[in-house]
Amino acid sequence: MKCLRDSCCQGFVEEIAMHELRIAEDLVAMVAGYAAEAGLTQLDRINVSFGQYIQIVPDLFIAAFIEASKETVAAGAELDFEIIPAELRCLGCGSGYKPEGELSACSICGSEEIALIHGKELFVKSIEGE
Amino acid sequence: MEIKIMKNILDRNQNKAEEVRSLLKARKIMMINIISSPGAGKTTLLERTCEAMSGEVRIGVIEGDVTTDRDAQRLKKYNIPIVAINTEGGCHLDSHSISKAIEHIDLNAIDLLFVENVGNLICPSQFDLGETFKLAVVSTAEGDDKPAKYPMLFSEARAVILNKTDLIPYTNFNMDSFTADIVAINPRITIIKASAMNGEGLEEWFRWLRVQIEMFSAA
Repeated sequence: MKCLRDSCCQGFVEEIAMHELRIAEDLVAMVAGYAAEAGLTQLDRINVSFGQYIQIVPDLFIAAFIEASKETVAAGAELDFEIIPAELRCLGCGSGYKPEGELSACSICGSEEIALIHGKELFVKSIEGE
Repeated sequence: MEIKIMKNILDRNQNKAEEVRSLLKARKIMMINIISSPGAGKTTLLERTCEAMSGEVRIGVIEGDVTTDRDAQRLKKYNIPIVAINTEGGCHLDSHSISKAIEHIDLNAIDLLFVENVGNLICPSQFDLGETFKLAVVSTAEGDDKPAKYPMLFSEARAVILNKTDLIPYTNFNMDSFTADIVAINPRITIIKASAMNGEGLEEWFRWLRVQIEMFSAA
């Protein structure tokens, strides 16, 4: 698989998207720790939440996960994604709002002083296995 | 059996970044994470900065490069501490690689540490390295739409250097829309227009950098 990302990897990476691979490796290391703690020997499903702005391509992430999880407790597990919509807070009037697409000025008072409340999460919610 | 976790996958990187940040703060070293596309002029900017400022501030550089150490080679002539990190295809630096690189630098011998991240506008902006702040570099030849297309970097950077202003007559770069897009994303960002090649605007960059150093030392 070629990296499909505009402006990432610059064609150096031919087999897998490096960005997703590094994150998938951290994911596998994390869930393997929890699985060992709970005495699970095989994971069937990993439930993850990604913020809208985290810039991970799900298909690339799945391919990276398959590579990173080889010969681990997570091998063969299904990845279940939930995308968390972005939420902003206006530093001017204090109101919270959800932008349509890109980061945008406050929809109530028009202030451009805004803080990102949700949208950059990269959470493992839970693991399922036996 | 389902086990609840609710943990951020990037925690490992974040925790290490905080370690690096407190180590550097204790040693009074300001670290700047420079992020740009390939070819925007990060290394040339560092060359000019070393030439102009190495007499007043002790500079060190960590060079992130995907496959070669060419950028590090270019900076060798300034006789400053340089550590090259070859990411072997990796599209960004992470805090663990910075932590290892710092072990190879004499922290008593520097006040200002530049990290030249891998040329890429996306991934590096997601990984905190423990820097004091991020600096974005964009060149006019890339087009004026980069802030709108890659808002995450510009929302986090303390300043953006618009490089290669000498090329504007040969491009369709629109300064007004570039500025408007950046300010919409980050109203507090400082925009510095410069040409690292012919030196235009660099004095403003040096002045701004001196102010940041003063603010950091006073904090």
